[in-house]
Amino acid sequence: MKTAVRTTNLWKIYPQEPDPVEAVRGISTEIETGDFVAMAGPSGSGKTTMLNMIGGLTRPSRGQIWIGDREITEMSDKDLAQLRLERIGFVFQSYNLLPVLTALENAEFTLLLSGVPKDERRKKVLELFDKIGLSGLEDRKPGKLSGGQQQRVAVARAVVANPALILADEPTANLDSKASTDLLDVMERLNQDHGTTFLFSTHDPRVMERSRRLITLVDGQIESDERRNHSSVSP
Amino acid sequence: MAHERLWWRVAWRNLWRNRLRTLITASGLAFGYLGAVLVVGVSDGMLVELIENGTRLMLGEVQVHSEDYLPERNMHHTIGGYGGTDLEIFISRVTSQEDVSGAAPRVYGGGLLSYGEETQAALLMGVDPDREPRVTTLLSRLVSGRTLVAGANEILVGDEMAEQLGAVLGDEIVVVAPSSDGSLGNDLFTLVGILDTGIPAIDQNYALLALPDLQFLMAMGPTRIHEVVITVGNAKDSPRIAGVLGEFLSDSELPVQVSSWTDLRPELAEMVSLMDASHFIIVIVIFGMAAFGVANTMLIGTFERRREFAVIRALGTAPIGIGRTVIYEGIILGMISLIAGALITWPILVWWHNSPIDLTTVISGFSVAGAQWRPVLRVEYSVQAPIVAALGLFLTSILAAMYPAWKATRVPPADALAD
Repeated sequence: MKTAVRTTNLWKIYPQEPDPVEAVRGISTEIETGDFVAMAGPSGSGKTTMLNMIGGLTRPSRGQIWIGDREITEMSDKDLAQLRLERIGFVFQSYNLLPVLTALENAEFTLLLSGVPKDERRKKVLELFDKIGLSGLEDRKPGKLSGGQQQRVAVARAVVANPALILADEPTANLDSKASTDLLDVMERLNQDHGTTFLFSTHDPRVMERSRRLITLVDGQIESDERRNHSSVSP
Repeated sequence: MAHERLWWRVAWRNLWRNRLRTLITASGLAFGYLGAVLVVGVSDGMLVELIENGTRLMLGEVQVHSEDYLPERNMHHTIGGYGGTDLEIFISRVTSQEDVSGAAPRVYGGGLLSYGEETQAALLMGVDPDREPRVTTLLSRLVSGRTLVAGANEILVGDEMAEQLGAVLGDEIVVVAPSSDGSLGNDLFTLVGILDTGIPAIDQNYALLALPDLQFLMAMGPTRIHEVVITVGNAKDSPRIAGVLGEFLSDSELPVQVSSWTDLRPELAEMVSLMDASHFIIVIVIFGMAAFGVANTMLIGTFERRREFAVIRALGTAPIGIGRTVIYEGIILGMISLIAGALITWPILVWWHNSPIDLTTVISGFSVAGAQWRPVLRVEYSVQAPIVAALGLFLTSILAAMYPAWKATRVPPADALAD
């Protein structure tokens, strides 16, 4: 199996008075391409910081990160932006759709940035909307969509350009039980159909249950790392 | 290209997210445009007023003299020398020029005016009563009496001169003046009119006689004149017209000097240049003030959208792309403001231009650099002022967007997403 993400001795220290906060403390791990991984742990355990560092949204204090075969810690902001555009999709806890764009425009955002022609963009988004139950909602602005619908648009935005890796930060936290299950179905299907690697941070037992690998963080370190088929991986 | 359109679309829609704020900001810029154009227009109106009053009253916009007449104003240095020139032919040559609207000949001399026991030194000015009104308003400034009739030994004086002499209409005034032949000319002239120009230097010192009467008094033939005064369509264009006319007349055998009012009244010309230059300062000050307001509003908008900028960054937009959308907002805001500004400015400008505001009940007139300023607030419009103001407005909206744009590019995505 190829490696989608690899971190070695990853640290994130926030300078703060009187004592610096060590949010991530020397995490080394690998995530295989096509895996469906949940990162769990209590608040402040370093889940979101890990996702942000892997996505190049914040730089580690020490250590290295590879996305595929590219080491990203020394990349410029511009190169990181290009890497995210080409290889990483984000799904956020509070959806974070752009309120001035319609559902369709939000979903095709990354395709637009990549310069995909309009007809091709529309075709891809409409097919995806059909697959994840958003047909008919294309022209609605985010304010006119339910939480579950908004999160599905956010997922569509994240996956439409076929990135190798989706980073999802507590994607079900603001959803009810049914919407959460529906969303997980969508993401699992996309994972299986396209081989997209998913890495979640979550508190949600349903997400942990559906994941094929569960990494548990405590105080910025990996406490456990287990395969859901009960084969455990050493931290 | 497609994502360029995306950024314009995002910028446009962002502006209308807070409709009231955008409208207030655009109104501020539009009124800044109105203010800049009107202030420049009023200033231009004052300039035109000063130039017109400085030139139309007596100076004219262009003057022709014998090349050695100025600055001493020697009475012997008439155009064409001692022999003079055929006046009709010379005036016809001058008025044949496209930009010349009218021309009138003059003779000058120094002399004494006596009435009863009073004697006053005076500048004697011989004018053509028919041609002079076509180039200056001097003869229209009569407050009593009538204008001159050539060959009737009549005189006009300023109201202050008449008061100093104690003369009234119909009185006979003795005029004594050195003649060109070395003798002392003297004669009686009937006071037929009294002038009030509002310029003390004229009202106290000048006496106007008909051209042939003064020529006769100074023993000068009818071909001899000191000056041809010319009026042109556009006073600001006088230096160019003087140059063209100078070249044209240099073909003749008469050595003449052609001067525009800017040469003859450099202090007035300098004042005009100063006021012209101040227009740019006015525009800079007005839009400089507006810039801080716009920047503040856009900065607030940027802070409110920190999270959105972070999301856009996370989706793969380079920092410069984020800054660009904020700049585009500034450009669109500038365009909206310019359209609104033009719509409110032009009707006011045209109305004010056609109906100057009369301030005579508030202030009286005064003279500046030898030119009388009437208490009338008039507006002149030019192509330059609206263009400069439009550029000022655009620069303001773009410059005001630059700092917020830079701040937007500096939003740390992870921190903003955690807010």
